[in-house]
Amino acid sequence: MKHLKPLNKKARLLEKAAEEGRTEEVHAMQTIAGCASTLDPGWEVDPLGGVAWLCQPMEADLYGCSDPCWWPAQVPDTLTTYPDWNTGADSAQRDWRALQAVFPKAK
Amino acid sequence: MYRLTLTALAAAIIAVPVWAGSAQAKEYILTAVKPDKLVMVDPAARKVAKTYTIPNATPGVLTITPSPDGKIAYTLVNRWESISGIDLDSGKEVFRADFSTGDVRTKGMFGMTISPDGKEIFIVQSPVRLGAGEYEVMDNHIAVYNTADGIGAKPVRKLPVPRRTAILTNSTDGKKLYAVNWDVTVIDSQSGKVLGVHKIRNWGRKDHSEPDVLDVWPQWEQANMFSTPYYAVRTDVAMDHPEAFQTGMLTLDLKSGEFTMENFEPTAAIIFSTVVNPVRRNEVYGVYTTLSKIDIAKDTLVNRIDLDHTYYTINVSGDGKEIYVGGTMNDISVYNSETLEKIGRIEMPGGADQALASMRVIQR
Repeated sequence: MKHLKPLNKKARLLEKAAEEGRTEEVHAMQTIAGCASTLDPGWEVDPLGGVAWLCQPMEADLYGCSDPCWWPAQVPDTLTTYPDWNTGADSAQRDWRALQAVFPKAK
Repeated sequence: MYRLTLTALAAAIIAVPVWAGSAQAKEYILTAVKPDKLVMVDPAARKVAKTYTIPNATPGVLTITPSPDGKIAYTLVNRWESISGIDLDSGKEVFRADFSTGDVRTKGMFGMTISPDGKEIFIVQSPVRLGAGEYEVMDNHIAVYNTADGIGAKPVRKLPVPRRTAILTNSTDGKKLYAVNWDVTVIDSQSGKVLGVHKIRNWGRKDHSEPDVLDVWPQWEQANMFSTPYYAVRTDVAMDHPEAFQTGMLTLDLKSGEFTMENFEPTAAIIFSTVVNPVRRNEVYGVYTTLSKIDIAKDTLVNRIDLDHTYYTINVSGDGKEIYVGGTMNDISVYNSETLEKIGRIEMPGGADQALASMRVIQR
C-alpha cells in the first residue's frame, strides 16, 4: 500500500484495515445505505398518490416513523443514527417546534 | 352432598385461569409513553392507575408482553436492544436482557411473546456485525430467555426464523410458535423445527395479486385469535374497476390453528391493526383514522366511523362490550362495540405520545 495514497474516507479506512489485517471487512458499497430499504416515494404519500389517507394529524405518525427508522431519508431515525433527536419532546403535536433538522456528521 | 359440593368447588378452582386467583381480579390496559414510561390504565374508572419508569429505556417502548398472571410486563426498550421486565406491584425491574455484545449489535424486531406458563420469553432478533468498513447482516433468529434468570438473562436457545417476521405469537398450549412474515411459519417452540406454513404472500389465489400485509401489533390475548387486514388487487378486472382493490381479513385461531383469509370490501379505508371480539367472535374491529366493525362470518363491513385522530392500536374488553383505541398520540379512547359510539377518553401521563407502543389487556 505504500505506493498508493488514499483520497477518500473509504480508501483511508481500507488503508487502516490493511495495517490491522482486517481488509476483508472493508468492501465497496453494493447495497442501499440506511437502516431500512423502504423505497416508497416520500414522507409521506398515500397509496393513491395523495395525502387524504395519511395519519391525521401528520404529527400522529412522526414518532411512529422516527423510532423504527421507517423513512430514513425523510425522518431522523432514533433507532440508531440520531438517538436523542426527540429527547424532551414527548408529544409530537405539542412539542414539534423543539425538533431540529439533522445533518450527517462531519467526515 | 357436602363431599360432592367440595369436589365441584375444587374442580371449579382448578378450571379458572391463573389470573383469576384473586376474587378481585379485574382488567387493566398496559401501554407506554415516551420516553420511558410504562402505563397501567383502569379502563372501568377511565383513568391511569399507575405509571412506572423503565430503566435505560429511551427513546420509547416498543412491544409489551405481559406475563400470563398479569404481574410482570416485559417491554422491548433501549432502541430495541433490551427487554426490561417490570413488576407491576413493586415497580422494580425484575428481568433484564441486553442483546448486543462485542461487535455484534442486535435489535429485537417487534415480535415477542411468552409461554403460557410464563417461564420463557421468545423474541425475534436481528444481529449485525459492525466491521471496520461495513456491516455484516447476520441471520435473524428467535432468542429464548428463561424469565427466572432475572437481571442479566442470556438466551437459553436460539431458533431459526424467516426474515421480515414482525409478529410472533404462540398456540394456547405453548407447543407452537407462529411467526408472521411473508407467510405464517409454524415452529416447534422447543426444537425450532418448522411444522408447517400458512401461505400469505404465496397464496396463489385465482384472479388476485399477491396480498400485502403490514402488522407489528400484538393484540390477540382476549379472543386467543390473531387477526390482521390484507390488501390485494383483482387481476380479472380493469384497474379502474370499483372492485379492483380488495381489503380482506386474515385470522389465525391460536387454539385450533385454523387459518383463514377472506375479502370483505372493495378497499375504502386503510386499517392498521385489528382485534377479535372474545364474545361475539365473528366481530373484528379495525383501526387507523377510522374505526371499522367487520363481520368475518359474513365477510362484510358492518359499520365505520371517523376517529378524532389516527390510532395504531386497538383492543377489547373481556366482555366484548368496549373497544379501546390507542397508540400514536397521547390518549386511549373507548368505544361501544355495538354502536361504535365514543364513551370515554383517557389522557396519558404528561400528555406524552404512545407512538409505537403496544396496548395489551391484562387481568390481575
